Amino acid sequence: MAQTEVLPEIEREEQTDSRSELQPTWLVICWNDPVNLMTYVMHVFQKVFGWNRETAEHHMLEVHREGKSVLVRTTMEKAEHYVHQLQNYTLNATMERES
Amino acid sequence: MKLHHATTDSFVFQLNAQEKELFLEMLQLYPLVPAQHHRLTKSPDAHSDENQRLLEESLAEHRAEKKQMVNALLAAPERFQKHARHFLFEVKATEIDFLLQVLNDVRVGSWLALGEPDPGQPPEMTPENFRHAIAMEVCGAFESLLLAALGQSESPDWADEP
Repeated sequence: MAQTEVLPEIEREEQTDSRSELQPTWLVICWNDPVNLMTYVMHVFQKVFGWNRETAEHHMLEVHREGKSVLVRTTMEKAEHYVHQLQNYTLNATMERES
Repeated sequence: MKLHHATTDSFVFQLNAQEKELFLEMLQLYPLVPAQHHRLTKSPDAHSDENQRLLEESLAEHRAEKKQMVNALLAAPERFQKHARHFLFEVKATEIDFLLQVLNDVRVGSWLALGEPDPGQPPEMTPENFRHAIAMEVCGAFESLLLAALGQSESPDWADEP
């Protein structure tokens, strides 16, 4: 697989009201495993987050090389939504509170 | 199996009789990943039990919908049009994602049943393990074909063999 040097920023979703600014931030993390195909992981990232191929490939390679990738920083509700979607595709994803 | 042709809203795959049987056998195995496999978070917090329950409910709902779609496909042999030496199977673009999810569930579920082996450490080959190992590899092969049709990768070498 061709390797790219595109290094996109980790998505930080906009928070518009002052209340949400006080809420803890959650990280949606995808963890490496030896079973999900790299091309499948890229496909899922594109479907769930609407990313282009380069961004999806960057995060997939980060999962593969580093063991995990922080996909988004967001509110608890949105993080739950994304984890539900990723696990629906049988990816190894969790949400963790940002320390 | 290989991509025969694609239109704006569908893909037509060409399969021989053995590939068709194998493809349907893989779909019949769905679902294989245990309901409790997925965890919402690795760090327990005050709301995690309730949120974990909601996750499992949500996944169970999706699993039931997909099982229904699998059953509908299995009950529609006309989806595979018989030609002289092969079958043509038309998949709507909207169905590709569903098939990928189903095949990947069987692939991951087979890997779990094998004891989550690393690629360099194959499990002991008992008759039961052999069945799971075959399902894992076959599902991966079909997934690669579908992903290639979507343009995610090159078509696998074996796909063009007669």
